[in-house]
Amino acid sequence: MTSTDISAPAVDGEERGTRKTGRPAPSPAPAATARRRARRETLAGYLFLSPWCIGILLLTLGPMLVSLYLAFTDYNLFDSPRWVGLRNFSEMFSDDRWWQSVKVTGVFVLIATPLKLAVALGVAMLLARPRKGQGFYRSAFYAPSLIGASVSIGIVWRALFQDDAVVDRSLSLFGWSGGGWIGDPDWSMPTLIVLSAWQFGAPMVIFLAGLKQVPRELYEAAEVDGAGAWRRFRSITLPMISPVVFFNLLLEIIHSFQIFTSALVIAGPGGGRAGGPGDSLLVYTWYLYEQGFSNLRMGYASAMAWMLLAGIAVVTAVLFWSQRRWVHYEEGGR
Amino acid sequence: MSSRRSRIAGLRTLGAGLAALGLLASGCGGGDGGADGKVTIRYSWWGAQDRADLINKTIDLFEKEHPNIEVKTDFQEYGDFWTKFNTQAAGGNPPDVFQNSHAFLRKYGQKNLLLDLSAQVKAGNLDLGDFRQGLEKAGEVDGKLLGIPVGANTFSLVYDVEAFKKAGVTPEPGWTWEDFDKAVEKIGDPEKDFWGASDNGGVMYLYDLYLRQQGKAFFTEKGLGFTEADLKKWWGDHNRKSKEGLLVPAKQSEQVKPKSSVSAGLSAAEFTWDNFLVRYTSETDRELALAPIPTTDGKKTGQYLSSLMLSASARTKHPEEVATFIDFMVNDPEVGKIMGYNRGVLPTNAQFEAYKPKGPDAQIAEYENSVTEYLEPITPHPAGADTVEAAFLSIYGSVAQGTTSVDDGVAQFFDEAKTALGS
Repeated sequence: MTSTDISAPAVDGEERGTRKTGRPAPSPAPAATARRRARRETLAGYLFLSPWCIGILLLTLGPMLVSLYLAFTDYNLFDSPRWVGLRNFSEMFSDDRWWQSVKVTGVFVLIATPLKLAVALGVAMLLARPRKGQGFYRSAFYAPSLIGASVSIGIVWRALFQDDAVVDRSLSLFGWSGGGWIGDPDWSMPTLIVLSAWQFGAPMVIFLAGLKQVPRELYEAAEVDGAGAWRRFRSITLPMISPVVFFNLLLEIIHSFQIFTSALVIAGPGGGRAGGPGDSLLVYTWYLYEQGFSNLRMGYASAMAWMLLAGIAVVTAVLFWSQRRWVHYEEGGR
Repeated sequence: MSSRRSRIAGLRTLGAGLAALGLLASGCGGGDGGADGKVTIRYSWWGAQDRADLINKTIDLFEKEHPNIEVKTDFQEYGDFWTKFNTQAAGGNPPDVFQNSHAFLRKYGQKNLLLDLSAQVKAGNLDLGDFRQGLEKAGEVDGKLLGIPVGANTFSLVYDVEAFKKAGVTPEPGWTWEDFDKAVEKIGDPEKDFWGASDNGGVMYLYDLYLRQQGKAFFTEKGLGFTEADLKKWWGDHNRKSKEGLLVPAKQSEQVKPKSSVSAGLSAAEFTWDNFLVRYTSETDRELALAPIPTTDGKKTGQYLSSLMLSASARTKHPEEVATFIDFMVNDPEVGKIMGYNRGVLPTNAQFEAYKPKGPDAQIAEYENSVTEYLEPITPHPAGADTVEAAFLSIYGSVAQGTTSVDDGVAQFFDEAKTALGS
């Protein structure tokens, strides 16, 4: 982005210069100056870009290539890696805890993502109407997303849902007697899902922007035709914002696959082993981390990381394929 | 206009990037060796804030007596400690000296991460002459001296004095598992959320002692020292008692973590290392005491002395200073007075005599004194013992929660242990 921003005016300048002189063949001197300037600006562009470039080469691309190699080795961090071919990958399929982590992550993605998007859309629709203190409400609802991934919120959440804590006591007023949610394999996952849904700020902001783009006339026309609120939502709002829904869905699914911190904190101290009560919160990235950094099986962990990448790629591909059926782009679909 | 703004923004980004790089570089460059001949060593340990406060005091003392050595510290909880250590060690940047325990000696010794301290002993930088109860040998593995004990612990039953008194049971040397079971049954009152004992079926060290009472052990030098049938019985018995309402249900004990069930007032008894009495006592108003492990035959507890140790990194650039540091930490009487029994009963005569224990520390001293005559040599811990311990705890957790059957859990454990110990 930065590079096009910077080099664009250079091209403009050259064209403008040509037009100003009004000659088909400009004198060599200004053209050379312009070219030199263009080159200098391009260089400056790359220079400005370089921190990011170095970052992506050294901190992302390099490690990714190394991990691809390690995925085919037995590597304990200290001795040199030993090539084992596809053994790491075949081992996954007979690893009960790997399957458990796939199951836990799958359930989380399937439930938490739609729930979060539904909440985000609902709140966005409430906030889309002009009203007093709009800015305040938007910021207030966005706030949990800023802090949601942090450890402190995980700890607060854990305290809220413990036995005999706020949530348990409030629910007991309504005759609930389930005890705390944390520590119970059946209830730890719902806790995690609620925490995730609560962090709806980012998709909400995007939904808000999308809702603002829907032309008022459509609603007015529909109202004249006697369409109710639900009908208008189904037939106007949803199709009109479907590109935004698609975008949010894509982003949030990828995000959900990578859940890590909140699961770790909610499940609490693990004594050197991840997973929470009965491995009920053993999310994929967490198991990967345990294999790599606690059990010193970096080769296996790398193979797991690439399986995750493959999984996300497949899901993303399916989503892109499906968008033809339900995502409507205006102007005949670009 | 917009290009101007983006240029300024770009400049800012570049500036910030360079600043970050600079920080990074200085972060890497900082550390050992100053121009003034001052040496910096890094020391890390696991524990909570209470331990950190004490250790920091001992370091102040050390730095005062050795003005040419500066000690940088850092600590985490047990689980996080090792992941951080592994990451640092893999990056070639482990701490110079760090807390360690028997379960990790072979694992890291075989990877040549630990300094063999015997050279420093020979050079006279580290004095092992004053250790109690043969502790100077506790860190010897495969012919190398890989750790120096800072405290001695033995396994124990921490119990609620009043609850046991009410039930009319006195846990005393030579008591048996039947005595223990009877007491648990008498004491427990699930209606009032109070149980006779915690469910310790997943505690490797307890099962080890139980196996030792039968002439086996949890580990041999290379692998597991028991069969699937043995474990099915152990886990099956615990699981049955838990279902009968005799032991604290897993759901309850999970909720109160990181507190123990005993200090949270759920349980009247829990098997753990005796130095935990300090922490448990600080977490509760109930009166707690220590008792020896119940026996199978009325005599043998299978107990042994274990210890937290200090190890040095094989990569340290300052082996001499590190040895001086360890020597000070185990031999200086003032250090003993400050630390008390936070990491176990003090290892050397000088420290042991300098410190006059009070409260729970006095109980620990008395307890260790009372079991000395039964102590036997420690069970060997093969490389990977720590992973096996974590799997043992976690898989039994699933069994206790009812998400895994005993048979499946045992099969899964043997499978994972094979992976952890085999490679």
